[in-house]
Amino acid sequence: MSTDNIHKTVAEASSLISWDTWDRIKHTESFVLLSSVLFVLLFSYAFGRAPVVSDVFQGYHGLAITILIWSIFALGFNLLLGQTGLLSFGHAMFFGTASYAAALFAIHVYNDPLAVIVVGTLAAVALGAVAALILLRLHTVYFSIVALAIGQFLYFLAREPLVEITKGINGLEVPRSAVFGVFELEHQYGGLLGELVVNNLYLFVGVFFVAVVASITRIRKSPYGLIFKAIRENETRTAFVGLDVWRYKFAAFLLSAAIVGLAGGLMAVNTQFAGVERLYWSVSGDVVVMTVLGGLGTLAGPVIGTFVFFYFKGIVNGFPTLGNYWLLLLSLSFTTVVWVYRDGIWGMITALTGALRDPRELVAAVRARVTGGDSTGDAPGGED
Amino acid sequence: MALLETRGLTKEFGGLTALDDVDIDVEEGELVSLIGPNGAGKSTLINTITGRLHPTEGQVSYAGTELVGMKPFEIAQLGVGRSFQTASILPELTVRENVQVASFAAEHGSFRVNFFRRRDSFDEVQSRTNDILDTIGLDSKARMEAGSLPYGDKRRLEVAIGLATDPDLLFMDEPTAGMSPTETQMTVNLIHDLLADWGMTIFLVEHDMDIVFDVSDRIFTLHQGRLIAQGTPEEIRENPAVREAYLGGGEQ
Repeated sequence: MSTDNIHKTVAEASSLISWDTWDRIKHTESFVLLSSVLFVLLFSYAFGRAPVVSDVFQGYHGLAITILIWSIFALGFNLLLGQTGLLSFGHAMFFGTASYAAALFAIHVYNDPLAVIVVGTLAAVALGAVAALILLRLHTVYFSIVALAIGQFLYFLAREPLVEITKGINGLEVPRSAVFGVFELEHQYGGLLGELVVNNLYLFVGVFFVAVVASITRIRKSPYGLIFKAIRENETRTAFVGLDVWRYKFAAFLLSAAIVGLAGGLMAVNTQFAGVERLYWSVSGDVVVMTVLGGLGTLAGPVIGTFVFFYFKGIVNGFPTLGNYWLLLLSLSFTTVVWVYRDGIWGMITALTGALRDPRELVAAVRARVTGGDSTGDAPGGED
Repeated sequence: MALLETRGLTKEFGGLTALDDVDIDVEEGELVSLIGPNGAGKSTLINTITGRLHPTEGQVSYAGTELVGMKPFEIAQLGVGRSFQTASILPELTVRENVQVASFAAEHGSFRVNFFRRRDSFDEVQSRTNDILDTIGLDSKARMEAGSLPYGDKRRLEVAIGLATDPDLLFMDEPTAGMSPTETQMTVNLIHDLLADWGMTIFLVEHDMDIVFDVSDRIFTLHQGRLIAQGTPEEIRENPAVREAYLGGGEQ
């Protein structure tokens, strides 16, 4: 009798953590915040130093920092493409301009990493306001192409006519300086902290990464998150309910520019350098690939996409023989993933974990795919 | 003065005159219907009044405000709502989110800076959304993706979005098209409720003549862009020009 009771209690206790509860928890802001903090703390270690895991990844600390910064870039880009449905092929303009602004401010005015990054972000926002006045008049492919054109215009402008300021193809050097004159970015930690984060530079970038993830989560849960999606789905309908679509698109554009600008500023601090190649069109292309590969419109997607991109570029690239074909291998993976899963790698993960929960759904999904039925049954990755 | 007035409203597409010198008046609190054979210009008239199309000539005034030249969102903010002929919903959003977008527009105006506030913290928006879902009878499907709704429910959601914008004047463009008899009856009941309990003014475009003659206070008849008759259902039923347009037009 008593054992029955115990069994009952155990069964009830385990049902407390049901799938429904998990679904609720995983969308809360505190869970997202906690996950991003844990991710930052463990990422460099798992990537570069942990036993077994790092042997698989063969990563290193410097690349981990680069991936965090580019993840911020991809998250900012995704706010515009994934949430609002505006595909810009010119987001390098914010990355590169912020980098230059940060470097110029550090060289000519005041060199504190924090101030430098704020200046970079503000420069990107200012550029965003001007670019939006031109771009938001345009739709679909015209929007994308003119964004590309503005980016390339700035690239050539920085390369030749403004060579006095930008030092052209040589670029600008940003001397290292301490945050508030106290926290040296190169400072190395010992013990467990040293094992996890190595130095202040990683912590500095990590704090911004967490802040960006938290901000984007909040924006997605705000009225803007909903209205951005509404604009993506049906712009005309959104206008006819009484919303000023132009101003909401303008807001999305500026928020996106600010986050990408932050990444650009961080890049200048991280590499101690700002150069013209950050304005080049292929940078805009890379961020599109990262975002779409990882999972459009989701939070984890752009981060995963950035990781995979740099894994190919930084690690596979160094493999004997195979390394020569890293770009080909990346393209093959990209095509395969996006062909099968519209929501990229993150969509693939959510579909697979969803299938593990309910095998019947998996069978139905496979059958639908084989018989050529529509694939709307795919779990939308991190929707909301 | 009437709530809505058009004067000499004309819309030309190239050489084609879709609306020809249309004068209509809609009084506050009444239900008027617009009928006419296919291609008579019914949708063009709605689109011209609500700002989707710009008239070639003429004026539209709503509660004393000139609407010509205003953007659709500005007209919506004045209290002119509309539901679309084809279910113009937001397919990848949930039913609840579809209504919520319109509730935000009604409660917060056309634009507000609040991107760092959670949307479930706006109680007035939540309660408006709940009220509308309850009124339309979609509350049990609130968490479904709108695109996966059956056709009749999509049409109801379309009306729900229009209602959530809190209009004083609501344009309903063929709200019962494609609905089952039960759903049609629900929609007719809803229209009666909106007039009686919500004090709304309704401008209905409808193909189902039984509904039109049942619910309308007055009926406008459009034919080849011209207003050929207006009056009570009895007057319209007996009107020879209307009979001619429908029987002689050969389109119905």
